[in-house]
Amino acid sequence: MITALRWLAFATAAFAMNFPILVTLSTSLKSTRELSTNPGLWVQAPTLDNYLAVFQVTDRLNIFLYLFNSLSVALIGTVLAVALALPAAYAIARGRLGERTLLPFIVNLRAVPLIIFAIPLYMMFQWLALLDTRLGLGLILTIVNLPLALVILVNAIHDLPAELDEAALMDGASRTQILFRVIAPVCRPAIVTSLIFGFITAWNEFLFGLMLTTSKAVPITVGASFFFAASGGGVQWGMASAVMIVGALPPVLLGLIMYRQISGSMTAGAVKG
Amino acid sequence: MTKAQQRPLIQEFRLLATPVVLFLLVFLGFPAIVNLIYSVSDVSFETLRQPELSGLKNFAAVWSDSAFWQASWFSFRFGLLTAVLECTLGLFLAIFLSPLIERRSWLMAILMLPLMVAPALVGLMYRLVLHEFVGPVPYYLWTYFGASLSFLGPGSAFWTLVVVETLQWTPFALLLFYMAYQAIPSEIAEASAMDGAKSHHRLWYIELPLMLPTIVVALLIRFIDGFRVFDNVYVLTGSGPGGSTASLSIYIYEAFFKQGAIGKAVAASVILFVVSFAVLYGLNFIASRRKGAIR
Amino acid sequence: MATISLKKAGKQYGNLEIIRELDLDLADGEFVVIVGPSGCGKSTLLRMIAGLEETTSGQIFIDGRDVTAASPVERKLAMVFQSYALYPHMTVRRNMGFGLKLAKLPADRIKAKVEAAAETLKLTHLLERYPKELSGGQRQRVAIGRAIVREPVGFLFDEPLSNLDAALRVDMRLEIAKLHRTLGATMIYVTHDQVEAMTLADRIVVMKDGRIMQQGSPQALYQTPANLFVAQFIGSPKMNLLPCRRSADGLDLSGEGSIRLPLSGPAAPAHLGARPEHLSLVSPDSGDCRGTIEVSEYLGGNTSVFVRAGKLGLINVSAPADTPYRIGETVGIRIDAASSSLFDDAGAAIAANR
Repeated sequence: MITALRWLAFATAAFAMNFPILVTLSTSLKSTRELSTNPGLWVQAPTLDNYLAVFQVTDRLNIFLYLFNSLSVALIGTVLAVALALPAAYAIARGRLGERTLLPFIVNLRAVPLIIFAIPLYMMFQWLALLDTRLGLGLILTIVNLPLALVILVNAIHDLPAELDEAALMDGASRTQILFRVIAPVCRPAIVTSLIFGFITAWNEFLFGLMLTTSKAVPITVGASFFFAASGGGVQWGMASAVMIVGALPPVLLGLIMYRQISGSMTAGAVKG
Repeated sequence: MTKAQQRPLIQEFRLLATPVVLFLLVFLGFPAIVNLIYSVSDVSFETLRQPELSGLKNFAAVWSDSAFWQASWFSFRFGLLTAVLECTLGLFLAIFLSPLIERRSWLMAILMLPLMVAPALVGLMYRLVLHEFVGPVPYYLWTYFGASLSFLGPGSAFWTLVVVETLQWTPFALLLFYMAYQAIPSEIAEASAMDGAKSHHRLWYIELPLMLPTIVVALLIRFIDGFRVFDNVYVLTGSGPGGSTASLSIYIYEAFFKQGAIGKAVAASVILFVVSFAVLYGLNFIASRRKGAIR
Repeated sequence: MATISLKKAGKQYGNLEIIRELDLDLADGEFVVIVGPSGCGKSTLLRMIAGLEETTSGQIFIDGRDVTAASPVERKLAMVFQSYALYPHMTVRRNMGFGLKLAKLPADRIKAKVEAAAETLKLTHLLERYPKELSGGQRQRVAIGRAIVREPVGFLFDEPLSNLDAALRVDMRLEIAKLHRTLGATMIYVTHDQVEAMTLADRIVVMKDGRIMQQGSPQALYQTPANLFVAQFIGSPKMNLLPCRRSADGLDLSGEGSIRLPLSGPAAPAHLGARPEHLSLVSPDSGDCRGTIEVSEYLGGNTSVFVRAGKLGLINVSAPADTPYRIGETVGIRIDAASSSLFDDAGAAIAANR
């Protein structure tokens, strides 16, 4: 009896929370004709026409470009963040360097509305000709990803016994050698987690994509909204839905495959942040 | 002589931390300085490189702007309400569903799905969900109740946004609480059962107190994220109707990009900057003191 | 191989003094065991010698060379850690060869050295395994192997056996003793287990609160402890301490009995220290003192009898396995005064009667 209630609660929660995704998925499979007659969830005659239409490149809309941009900026923003965070995390965890200054500052960044840096960054990027470039957006996403990457890596290094470093010191390794030959390989799970988590965060970012790009470097989150801008006959809901599904797919798939690691790192960030 | 041995070690650690410090100086330190200068300057897109000092005029403009206060009130109310709703719902689900999830962890994956989707895309999705002609929600309401609501209209837009935010981020609270709940040692539950505690006693006197730190942290994180909300609100309602759904983030964005009021936007940023860091460092301070007390 | 010596070496953390002006000299090839209760500074001392901890005062010499400011690798010592600290992502072969690789030795030399060490430690068949695939004892041997390959001038062991179960600990203890005989290397071994200290050491150093309480051969420490602390710490079961006062012809045992003992000089004994095997049970009328048997533990080879003797407290006597005395019986205790130790009020040993 109570178990049935639990299942009911699960089904209701899962349905309500995933409702927009289900609606979008169902709409993306409807033909233009069905769209005007059947707003319900159930699709009468599923078709992939909307997806084919979305992948037609036009002057105004180029989904391949948006996806490629998202992929590039997410990779830059993720790899650079981890590359910067790893040595810093080692210095913080083992050298006790900046434990009370650098670490709390970067961790607090996670909670600061990043819009406060957006305007000067916009101007700075204008001077540096980084506006509407993938590199520019990738650099900003690095800032977005730094806090969590740092927390995950500091925690991971803290969890390793200090004797491991000392054994390597006795073996004649320098701190840099210890970091790259001992700590980094041993921390590989934590590094992979921060990469995945950073990738999802970066892919899903919207504000800086909106502010710092206009055409060449537009990421998919911003590009998807272009499909909502009425072109003649109003919003083409089928196409718009298909774009959203395509745009949501990479992080969702990554998330589903790696959800164990991700749930762990979410807690890490939460407890220490 | 002994110091000579330690110095190269510390220097090597410094060297390892240098890249991130430089990166932050360039991409946050420099903008922070620009922010401070522009906030006390008379500046427009034409005079970007020759800002003229104008004292606290920009701050006065922000201070007397009713839209700024409206946006602050929106952000605060939105953050508080969504944080409380998400945590309440998440706490209930975490405890009530834990017997199911313990055995089938893929159930958690389904519940976590909304967290993987960009908030901007979720906002756009709700444009579809709530659309009066193609959206299923108005359609079903018409079919079964013979009436629908103007979800994004003046009276209800705020509440619609609260529901949208809550439904997407409840899984975050749920996940945190589920993990905290699982981390309670089973010996404690068993010991209290030996003491004759009923399950609701156990929940109230043992499990919830043990989960309290996590609950506080979750409320805090969700409040902060709700307070600085931009993506889903911006794509769903812009700032309308009538500026009633402008969060502080949206206020600053629009002041800069739509009105070109650089001074005002920057002054509002500086205010937000100072308040955020003051609050965060205050919280850190309290947290570290409490930690010390416990130890 | 090398001599190691510490001259007034000290370690301070802020105002906290961990090691106080400590002098210690190791001869070439000597096996020294540092023993003491937890928190006595023995591990810190070892890590100072290794170069992992800064020495804040005094000097450390290896083969007469001042290495106080030298880095760990410059000291040419090897260390075996309590947790083994094997690199989990490297095979046994790469674990053992890591130091040589960092020293930029050619690959074929590394291979030869690693395989020779593996041969010595019977690790050859495990060379391609990862640490997680090894048992505790095997990991321990790899940790030792990693130390051997670098051909260090001395070995440092930091409680290397404390993570092993009791049976394995005895085996590894024998292996380490054998290793010392084969290599003839200078070794410093830190432990809190006095049995390890007694069985392995050429010389034992007993530490307490950052100071050396006594050093000497196991026999010397056992037979002539310099103070109450060493007397109580070395030897298992513990030495009995009987409160006493000087009397006209010897010792008065707090009114519970007396011993005739010629004492010279101004000695003022406060405690008589007698090991259980230096006591024997006799009939109530014939002992140096008497009491009632409270507990009797049959241990196979002997029986450990605990006698309640008034103000003298509970006295542990090592009796023959087939001792006729039973719990509740009143017995006499004879004390072998010649083998006992005397301590004054301050806890220092009195050598006057020897």
